[in-house]
Amino acid sequence: MFALLLIFLVTPTGNVRGAEPANGVVVFRGAKIYPVSGPAIERGVLVVRNGKVAAVGAEGQVSVPDGARVEDVSGKVIIPGIVDTHSHIGIGSRPAVPANEDINEGTGPLQPGLRAMDAIYPEDVGIRMALAGGITTANIMPGSGNVMGGQTVYVKLRGKTIEDMLIPGAIGGLKMANGENPKHYGSRGQAPMTRMEEAALARKEFVKAQEYKRKWDDYNKQVAAGSKDAKMPDRDLDLEPVVEVLEGKRIVQHHTHRADDIMTVLRLADEFKFRVVIHHGTEAYKVADELAKRHIPVSLIIIDSPGGKLEAVNFDLRGAAILEKAGVKIAFHTDDFINSSRFLIREAALAIRGGVSEETALRALTINGAEMLDLEKRVGTLETGKDGDLVVLSGEPFSVYTNVLETWIEGEKMFDRSRPEDLRYATGGFQVAGRYPALKTGDGGMHASAAQGGGR
Amino acid sequence: MRSRGMNWRKISLWVCAVLILCAAASAQKTAIIADELYSMAGGGPSGQPGVVLIENGKIVDVRPGHEAPAGYEVMHAAYATPGLIDAKTTTGISGEYNIPADQDQDEVTDPNTAEVRAFDSFNSAERLLEFVNTYGVTTIQVAPGIVNPVAGQAAIFKTRGPESPLMTAEELAVKPVSAIVFNLGESPKRAYGEKQKAPETRMMTAEIIRKALLDAQVYEKKWEDWNKSDKKDASKQPAHDLKLEAVAAGLRGEILVIFNAYREDDIDTALRLSREFHLKPIISSATEAYLMRDTLKAAGAAAFVGPTLERIDSLETMNATVENAALLSEGGIPVALMTGFEGYVPKNRVLLFEAAVAAVNGLGFEKALRACTIDSARLLGIDGRVGSLEKGKDADVVLYDGDPFEYTSHVTAVLVDGRVTYRQK
Repeated sequence: MFALLLIFLVTPTGNVRGAEPANGVVVFRGAKIYPVSGPAIERGVLVVRNGKVAAVGAEGQVSVPDGARVEDVSGKVIIPGIVDTHSHIGIGSRPAVPANEDINEGTGPLQPGLRAMDAIYPEDVGIRMALAGGITTANIMPGSGNVMGGQTVYVKLRGKTIEDMLIPGAIGGLKMANGENPKHYGSRGQAPMTRMEEAALARKEFVKAQEYKRKWDDYNKQVAAGSKDAKMPDRDLDLEPVVEVLEGKRIVQHHTHRADDIMTVLRLADEFKFRVVIHHGTEAYKVADELAKRHIPVSLIIIDSPGGKLEAVNFDLRGAAILEKAGVKIAFHTDDFINSSRFLIREAALAIRGGVSEETALRALTINGAEMLDLEKRVGTLETGKDGDLVVLSGEPFSVYTNVLETWIEGEKMFDRSRPEDLRYATGGFQVAGRYPALKTGDGGMHASAAQGGGR
Repeated sequence: MRSRGMNWRKISLWVCAVLILCAAASAQKTAIIADELYSMAGGGPSGQPGVVLIENGKIVDVRPGHEAPAGYEVMHAAYATPGLIDAKTTTGISGEYNIPADQDQDEVTDPNTAEVRAFDSFNSAERLLEFVNTYGVTTIQVAPGIVNPVAGQAAIFKTRGPESPLMTAEELAVKPVSAIVFNLGESPKRAYGEKQKAPETRMMTAEIIRKALLDAQVYEKKWEDWNKSDKKDASKQPAHDLKLEAVAAGLRGEILVIFNAYREDDIDTALRLSREFHLKPIISSATEAYLMRDTLKAAGAAAFVGPTLERIDSLETMNATVENAALLSEGGIPVALMTGFEGYVPKNRVLLFEAAVAAVNGLGFEKALRACTIDSARLLGIDGRVGSLEKGKDADVVLYDGDPFEYTSHVTAVLVDGRVTYRQK
């Protein structure tokens, strides 16, 4: 009984990780640092103070503050914390059983009033697996079953409550979708049954929001002019976030695959002047010029093979490179559960196989995603003043032989591969950690040889 | 032995004839020169410079060095390996569109469809077949899906690539019938339970399989008795039953017996059934197999692991680990890698990527390569033809511009039976 109690006491409960106080100073010394904001630093020093990057530079050029906790990361590689622009962790918790399914409110195709944050389970193991993949910031979204799926939430992967996870000042995006998925209503004899109707539903909602905004603008003008009998319009929780979209405060995060569907999004964006990120963008490479001339970014999912649905059959590993060449800003996302958050870096590596430059691939995991979420002032690069969110890697970012060793958020270590309880979130087997057999050929030997370019 | 075996023999003969014709069509001499040649043959090059000489679709010599004799068309590569062998997949019967029109892997009308053959669903024009070929997969065991407790018969095929002519299933077949496949776990009970039909529980899934095995045993006995008899009274000859035939072939050990199972207890059920009917089981998917290595070893079971990138998602895959292949291999259990079945996006896994993930998660380069070449061939019983680069074997070769397992490397060319099926543009 006492032993049991002891286990209970030392077992981390909930989602609270990172024993280090955020107000301390942590210094990472000796690693090759990819700050992304500038060229790689071969042997760098990175100082994180009070959760923010206080200094970054070459060894010898950045002084180590007295009393700082020094992390010797010689021979390792540091990149900024990874930004996943499209995830369903927490909102589609594991295991995937109906009790945990809170992604799609399939009772109507227009749900802009819904907020993802009302359905997020911070103890979802998916969040810990995402940390094991080096993800520090995520855009958690409702699903793509609706034309307007709801308000997305931009979070850091920390804390016990969704409030802890929130990023100050970030209001999130509006999830929209077109193409195959919202058409599922058709099988019930409900709208939308066609792509035409999907677009019409979106257009009608935007027109309603324009009207609603005009009413409020008029009212506010009257109040500002000193009117006493101005009548306050009724509030509409569905239209408020759509108005924020029209005002450019909230970005439309739009699921869309096929080139013609992407063009429908651009048509709506041209018409209603909203800011939009194209998500998945399977056929974005076919309309790269249209995207480039409008400066519309694309958050891509890099999947292993084409298909699984008609709108994904023209997936091409070379697509990301075509977009890069056309001058379209790209990011990569997991759409977790579609791809595992543990392997988001792998997506970027596969895009390199398809022709993307390593530089763009790294930006696409970090700063580009941050920009797509209006978070570029806070995350995405390792620059003085930005959040101390970083990933310590065992080697070069895009090698299969490289592992995520540590993930830090604002100066707190959230994942450490050397901790047995964390390791299982990287490999799998966390539920049976007590019975998990020891792997004789595990980590050590493998990666020592890999460092010499071998790994066999 | 018996007339009912004749159909398969006829097919095999016909397949042989077609293969001879194909070989004749590719009567050219090719030399593959690789900086690092992994022959996967005992005593053959393993990571050293090497040359593979090919004539008429077969390997005629494998030698160290960089020199090819005159008269050969030369292809250069940084790395070369044997063609990769997917131990179990639905590629070719589960199309990339994922619409009813191209899904032919699960005959969900009867929980026992032992009589169905993947061969008869196989669409040799399927684009995913060409797709996997571009990633070095040259041989696949195509098995019915994961829904029916008694799912039917698997077949082994070569793959076509973008440069291949359209070939029929017969032309691509290596073994028209290679295995009988049983499914345990969530999928059967989900599919039938929704329709208020059996099986609704794991108990019933096991019972359906047990009954199929028992019926086949009885059937087998009847035929034995008939064959031993003087065969005078034709009315006493047992009636042919294609369902029972198929399961009986598994009982006799003529074809492989594969149980697809994820959870530990489901794998245990597979072993229990195997003990009852003296089967030598192969566990496919085998998600939690790493938790029961000693049991599996004692049962003489082998595992088709994967996909390594299996999602930690449903209840039965919650304990999936990327170290499964490594742990099983360390535990002395024969392992081959498979891509299995994917029901959504992406529609197919890539064997090369699965092997890469297994390699860096404990299995190591050499063993991971074995698990998708020679070890896979051995478990499938086709190592006389494929799985390693050795004199006399089929000239199935993959060329790479870097470490095959690095995400950023490329497959530069693929040869099947000596013909280039894919060439990087």
